[in-house]
Amino acid sequence: MQDVAITIGGAAGQGLVTISDMLLKLLSRTGRHVFAIQDYMSRVRGGHNFMRIRISGERKFANTEKTNILVALDQRTVVEHLESLEDPALVLHDTETVGPVDAACATFVGIPISASVPDGNKVFGNSVAFGAVISILGLDLEPAKEIISQHFGGKGREAVEKNLRAAAKGYAHIKSDHAELILRLPDGIKKPAMLINGAEALGLGMIAGGLRFISAYPMSPSTSIFNYVTRHAGKLGILSEQAEDEIASVNMALGASAAGARAATTTSGGGLDLMAEGISLAGISETPVVINNIQRPGPATGQPTRTAQEDLDLVLNMGHGEFPRFVFAPGTAEEAFYTAAGAMNLADKYQVPVFILGDQLLVDSYTTLPGLDLEKAKYQGHLADPAKVARPYKRYLLTPDGVSPRLPYGAEGARVMFDSHLHDETGLITEEPAMAKKMTEKRFLKLRGMSREPFRPVRYGHKKPEMSLVCWGSTYGAVREAVDLLNAGGARAEMIHFNRLSPFPVREAVALLRGKKSVRVVEGNHSSQLGRLIARETSIKTGESVLRYDGRPFTASYVIENLKRVGKWKLKMSFSSKAKRRGARGAATSASSRPSKRR
Amino acid sequence: MLLVSGIGQAAKLPHYIMTNGFNGLHGRALPPAFGAKAANHRLTVIVASGDGDMYGEGGNHFIHNVRRNIEMTVIVHDNQIYGLTKGQASPTTAKGVKTALQPEGVVLTPFNPLAVAISLDAPFVARSFSAEIDFTADLILKAMDAKGFALIDVLQPCVSFNKINTAQWYRERAYKLGPEHDPTDKARALEKAFEWGEKIPLGIIYDKPRPGYVEQTVGLDSEPIFSRITKTADVEELVGGLY
Repeated sequence: MQDVAITIGGAAGQGLVTISDMLLKLLSRTGRHVFAIQDYMSRVRGGHNFMRIRISGERKFANTEKTNILVALDQRTVVEHLESLEDPALVLHDTETVGPVDAACATFVGIPISASVPDGNKVFGNSVAFGAVISILGLDLEPAKEIISQHFGGKGREAVEKNLRAAAKGYAHIKSDHAELILRLPDGIKKPAMLINGAEALGLGMIAGGLRFISAYPMSPSTSIFNYVTRHAGKLGILSEQAEDEIASVNMALGASAAGARAATTTSGGGLDLMAEGISLAGISETPVVINNIQRPGPATGQPTRTAQEDLDLVLNMGHGEFPRFVFAPGTAEEAFYTAAGAMNLADKYQVPVFILGDQLLVDSYTTLPGLDLEKAKYQGHLADPAKVARPYKRYLLTPDGVSPRLPYGAEGARVMFDSHLHDETGLITEEPAMAKKMTEKRFLKLRGMSREPFRPVRYGHKKPEMSLVCWGSTYGAVREAVDLLNAGGARAEMIHFNRLSPFPVREAVALLRGKKSVRVVEGNHSSQLGRLIARETSIKTGESVLRYDGRPFTASYVIENLKRVGKWKLKMSFSSKAKRRGARGAATSASSRPSKRR
Repeated sequence: MLLVSGIGQAAKLPHYIMTNGFNGLHGRALPPAFGAKAANHRLTVIVASGDGDMYGEGGNHFIHNVRRNIEMTVIVHDNQIYGLTKGQASPTTAKGVKTALQPEGVVLTPFNPLAVAISLDAPFVARSFSAEIDFTADLILKAMDAKGFALIDVLQPCVSFNKINTAQWYRERAYKLGPEHDPTDKARALEKAFEWGEKIPLGIIYDKPRPGYVEQTVGLDSEPIFSRITKTADVEELVGGLY
């Protein structure tokens, strides 16, 4: 059975989130794999938003640009998505408010929503649509009832009852009037799968890694992580505080961290800019902190709800002065979970700032997982034992590995001093040149240990590749699928994905990249920031990069089309007509590929 | 005890007192002080700052931590001038004062920290004068007993850069509030906060307890945030919620 892509579109506030959420839950509970992206505009009402859910019998890591079933909550949705319809496609719409248009590939299925809602109340329209959608997907109504009851449970028994009736009407309408159109979905794993988005994965990972304090200023698209943690904070004994600005949020986290609480913050590019001095303070004061930077296209306000990978150079270099840092860019929600837990532990272990680079695609996309291994995400304590630390206590004791035993404030008989100046071992101001040299070297001594830590690059695909596609962060999914498609077509392609970008895994990168026939970086920015990083760190020149900077997520077809367009490399495979058509569209609507700047 | 400071002449205090310290960034004394207090509310947190650090660069944090009413004592060494950067106008410099960067005189209205703090219901707002050592020490002790954001604005001369607001200038104007002042009366307190020029009141201007941040969130008698532990069972429960 083939994958099915269903797109639910409408204006902000029209209820597409309700339908999507219930549908995702139903699909994952009945064991189908999904990968779902959210595409929304930066506004509270109106505009055009959609969620595209790809339903598959096996795990998928990226979305498609094509749709088999379009659920149009308004007329604009029909217009916007006509181009992306598969042949054949179904368009489900409200009979009264949305009309069919001329499209050879599409069958329009009208649902009489007004006539189906209990009491003629439009509030229940979404449940009618939900019932119709699950009916057309060939899903049972029974398991959906539980989901409806849970979703509307907070609104009282009557609301639940009426929504159930509405859904049953929509369901029955398809069964009676359009039975011939009902699809059969892939069976899937036949047991409930976990449904998680990147924001939940990052939040959950930090919690598993011992998060105790989070302070942040709301900023799209990072707020969903802050929301997730805060929703559970009370019960878990975590303190969550909305700061007055990002300067406050990072400095609050540093204070909490100095007091011994594992601390983190969440933000997006513009907020991160404001944190720069605080991150520099984390550097010299050797205060552990985890900074989740969820990228969106810039500069400045840019496209607040869109996706990009433009902040790699920023996090590698931000904060004045020199100090080591970790930078991670997990590729999937699953990896985001383990990375976030690891980030909490590593920040504490090395007393350095740790960045997690996500983006709108990572945090807002839902994926199904067989489960998570909590053993791999365990809290590891790194505070020193007050009984074993020599007195008088030296907060910045010079040690062979650069890491000083850290005591929290209040430890018996210890004066604990965190300082932003150049300081001596006790944390007091000094301008001694010898101490300046020692303290700088102390900080960088940590790099030895940090370089040996996990989250190293991974390889996927053909064992003897003639093409290596290199990526970081959320581009993982599209590149992985592109590699699968290329290899299925007879090419020899591999993916190399970087999660840890600082300290850069030089040895591993050289081993993976040296001598490769054609190395091409795929990333969501204009200047090929990873391409330049690889050149800087390994002296290996990569080929022309495949770039995207229009605010939209990569897909496999975008990657393949742009490889064909800009590469000297000839594709030694024939594409199916479908792939060709997808590619042509990708080229017509998306940003072009550019050679990286350094040549 | 934990002494937190930003940057400035006053902000070097943690280096001179044998206690725990966090000497952070210019203007940013309050956020880490808040973080440390919230993470371990058993710490007695005192912030040492100056008029530039607290009311200028850190103005936003001043406003919002008064609103938070985080339980700490904030001592602002207010000499109405920038010392560390050698003599520019501070937020409390009077209008018309000429400096290298305000050669025609300051045109900005001076910041009134006491009035701002009172209007936001800081539970303890006081002013002192640095020459009054015992009086100031007594005010600090009272501030430390207050259950929330306690502000003491300490007027002090800058012998190097402020040739107007000298010790003599303050001595001629400052007077101690007597028992006739009711510090629980907000309107009277605001009136006293605006008294400036010929006569400058010293003492507790406003004293009206309200619930503090830790009291309302963490709980004063509970286990501090930093020493709590998330159990594996708790994480498992969250994971269970994703199915």
